[in-house]
Amino acid sequence: MRVQFNAMRLRILFLTLITILILASCGNGNPQTIDGRAAEIYPPGIEKCAGSNGSTVTIYSGRTENLINPVLEAFACETGTNVQVRWGASTDLALLINEEGEKTLADVFLSRSPGPVGYLESKDLLGEISSETLDLVESQNRSAAGRWVGFSGRKRVMVYNTDEYSPKDLPESVFDLTAEEFRNKVALPGTNGSFIDWFTVFMDVHGKDVATQWLDDMVTNGATYYPNNRSIVEAAGRGEISMGLVNHYYNYQIKASEGNAHKAENYDFDNKDIGSLLVITAATILQSSENIEASENLLQYLLTGPVQQYFTDRTFEYPLAAGIQPNAALPELTALEIGSVDFDKLGGGFEEASRIIEASGILNK
Amino acid sequence: MSQIEIKRSTPVTLRLIVYAFAFLFSFPGLYLVWRNFTEESDPIGLISTQRVLAPLWRTVSLAFTVSMTTAVIGTALAWLTSRTDLFGNRLWRILLPIPLVFPTFIGAAAFIRTMNPGGLINRMLGGIGIDTIVEMRGFFGAWLVLTLFCYPYVYLPVAARLRQLPGSLEENARVLGQSSFQTFRRIVLPQIGSILAAGSLLVFLYTISDFGAVQLMRYDTLTRSIYTNRLINQSTALALSLLLLLLAAVIVLSERFFSKVTFTSEETLTGKPVRYTLGKWRIPGLATVLLVLLLSIGAPMLALGDWAADGISRTTRGGSPLTVDRGQVIESTWNTLSISVISGFVAVLAVLPIAFLVARYRSRTGSIAHAVVIATFAVPGLLIALSMRFWVLRTDWAFELLDNTKTLLVFSYIVRFGSLAMGVVLVAVAAVPKRLHDVGQTLGAKRPSRFFRIDIPLMAPGLAAAAGLVILSTMKELPITLLISPLGFSTLATRIFSSFEDAFVAEAGIMAVILVLLSFALTWFLVIRRADHL
Repeated sequence: MRVQFNAMRLRILFLTLITILILASCGNGNPQTIDGRAAEIYPPGIEKCAGSNGSTVTIYSGRTENLINPVLEAFACETGTNVQVRWGASTDLALLINEEGEKTLADVFLSRSPGPVGYLESKDLLGEISSETLDLVESQNRSAAGRWVGFSGRKRVMVYNTDEYSPKDLPESVFDLTAEEFRNKVALPGTNGSFIDWFTVFMDVHGKDVATQWLDDMVTNGATYYPNNRSIVEAAGRGEISMGLVNHYYNYQIKASEGNAHKAENYDFDNKDIGSLLVITAATILQSSENIEASENLLQYLLTGPVQQYFTDRTFEYPLAAGIQPNAALPELTALEIGSVDFDKLGGGFEEASRIIEASGILNK
Repeated sequence: MSQIEIKRSTPVTLRLIVYAFAFLFSFPGLYLVWRNFTEESDPIGLISTQRVLAPLWRTVSLAFTVSMTTAVIGTALAWLTSRTDLFGNRLWRILLPIPLVFPTFIGAAAFIRTMNPGGLINRMLGGIGIDTIVEMRGFFGAWLVLTLFCYPYVYLPVAARLRQLPGSLEENARVLGQSSFQTFRRIVLPQIGSILAAGSLLVFLYTISDFGAVQLMRYDTLTRSIYTNRLINQSTALALSLLLLLLAAVIVLSERFFSKVTFTSEETLTGKPVRYTLGKWRIPGLATVLLVLLLSIGAPMLALGDWAADGISRTTRGGSPLTVDRGQVIESTWNTLSISVISGFVAVLAVLPIAFLVARYRSRTGSIAHAVVIATFAVPGLLIALSMRFWVLRTDWAFELLDNTKTLLVFSYIVRFGSLAMGVVLVAVAAVPKRLHDVGQTLGAKRPSRFFRIDIPLMAPGLAAAAGLVILSTMKELPITLLISPLGFSTLATRIFSSFEDAFVAEAGIMAVILVLLSFALTWFLVIRRADHL
């Protein structure tokens, strides 16, 4: 009896599995209609999408789906291009593209920070972007060799706990954070990509010796290590730490969810200080891509007015093109910040910056 | 037992199948050796430097401590819930496997948010004037979180075994005046020894492969060094990965050398498992189970549920809309469910031939295949994903057939998690009494018929537990899913990751809660219903 019963159950299970397998295989093309946040971008009042134009673009995106998918949906809807995406961490996707080489599915790689772009450039995997696309942004926000173009910016700021500090007690420069009054107060995201990018520029602007000395002094002064920006912003909101160097936009998202329970705000250093650097997110086209036209179209689309407006209003980033002004909620951006940095130098300096950060001992603090 | 070796010759087809599987499972290892070669890395030179020795020592001490702790906790919980009259046993049995489903990167973050200074617990206790001062970080934090999320690797297989052990020996012991504790130590422990060792080994290997928890707890292990160096210093990262795999191989081999694997093929299956009355131990027993559940499910769920509730209330009172819509959540839930269930069952089928070879035929081929499958568990998911892409892209027919398909994804999951099924399936196979096969043969039943009518029914609880382990682990898997899945395929874990990366904590919370509910439904269906019927 028992054996028969089990055989029957096994058969049911098997049939269920087959059904699942069949049901699970379904594809996705370009959208028919547009709704949700994508409708903010394209085009106001029109609900029907363009018919397929027969082209496809495959994107490996280090920018997260929550932020950028509406933009890609709007692009697909407006142009009729079939858009396929692999989401992931920029670093891992760069490693994957390197592993895939010529056979990669990717046409376009979107990186949340310059480091992974520098890596792919050093492996000769990036193709040249047309000057028509490159010229949409200021010369400091694109590669001199035409390998990448910036499409939004994130500012380095200091997040602080509002119970412990008010802005008037905070210093104008990161160099002041090595003072005694900030002993055991500051958190640094030592292994985080944008922190390493930032430190690379720091070394470039002030010289390697000054930058290394600053970091060593921070460690001596009891700076704490956290693995990423988000965990610092959360810890500052709880009061676990007093302040930390992070990208500006995390605080907006967490405040939106937690409201008053999150007791942290952004503090903007002096506009001339390295601590208020703007770090860009970059778009690239792969050398091996066979869909150059669709890829160029996508890159240009990222730099159109509605998309740049979306970046600053919805994802609280700094627009880089089309004369769009940053959202009023963001810390002010001055001309000095943009234009002070040659991002092409990041590729080579990235490795050295990581070595210096590791040698400082911050990772074990 | 030596009779088995003499009487049975290994079927050739079985051996060939096992060769093929062992080869497939060795892809990540071969990849690491090859890449170290092409990148001209220097693992030997690296090993003596302080840069490696210190993280290596931290890795080993953490893994050892976590596996010892989970061995004790897992066994205690398994015994309490499957062999005693503990209050609420059915519920505990559904809840106890669930911690396995938390991806460590968000599970540990949620745990920190609940437990650390200024966290949810702190705020609640602060209201009544109590200050918590313990901060979760470093060795202590990593140990606690990994123990709480990994004990099911021990609990599930041990519980499956305990529910199956014949009662006769234990009854005899009790009749002869042994106390419950003595009976456990002298009778039960030797019978669950091999599965307990296998489970603890998995915990050890998982701990050395984990990145999420050690990263958030800021404990500098070898895997963290691999992740830190992966882009900026690839040859170092590859050399460290190879060292990690060597460490795993050493551990797996020494475990096999030291543990006297006692196969109980001759045991007489008489009597139902003995149930013990807890008596005065009822309260401490219940307290243990509750404490583990509160810490391992309660603490992270408090934070995740809070985020989810914030998100839902935010939309209902007209705040900024969520960035994930219902259709996407349903699609990801369905993808998570289907791909993990398929992977769970295929993984069991994949390791079954190896288990047969090892347990029935004592074959050396089987032992090697077994060691390869188990040691691969120490390889971080990112490297499994890269190695799969590497081999598929370099083999034309595989590229045509597998590139950008779910088949490759399932295959990668199985390479990653096959080890979880291996130990449990092995014990399940070994526990089928040889006598029954002899009887079957005498009555004229052919091999396939005996397989379906003797082996499968007797092994069913073990196989279900094995599939369950793989399913729960696959549901939370992240690096492989991100890099190997067909374009446009998302799971709950990938959406949690996407949301969490840019601090969309409300969305991450909602999907983590769905993930936990899904695993709750699955453990109820798989572990409980099946086990109760058998």
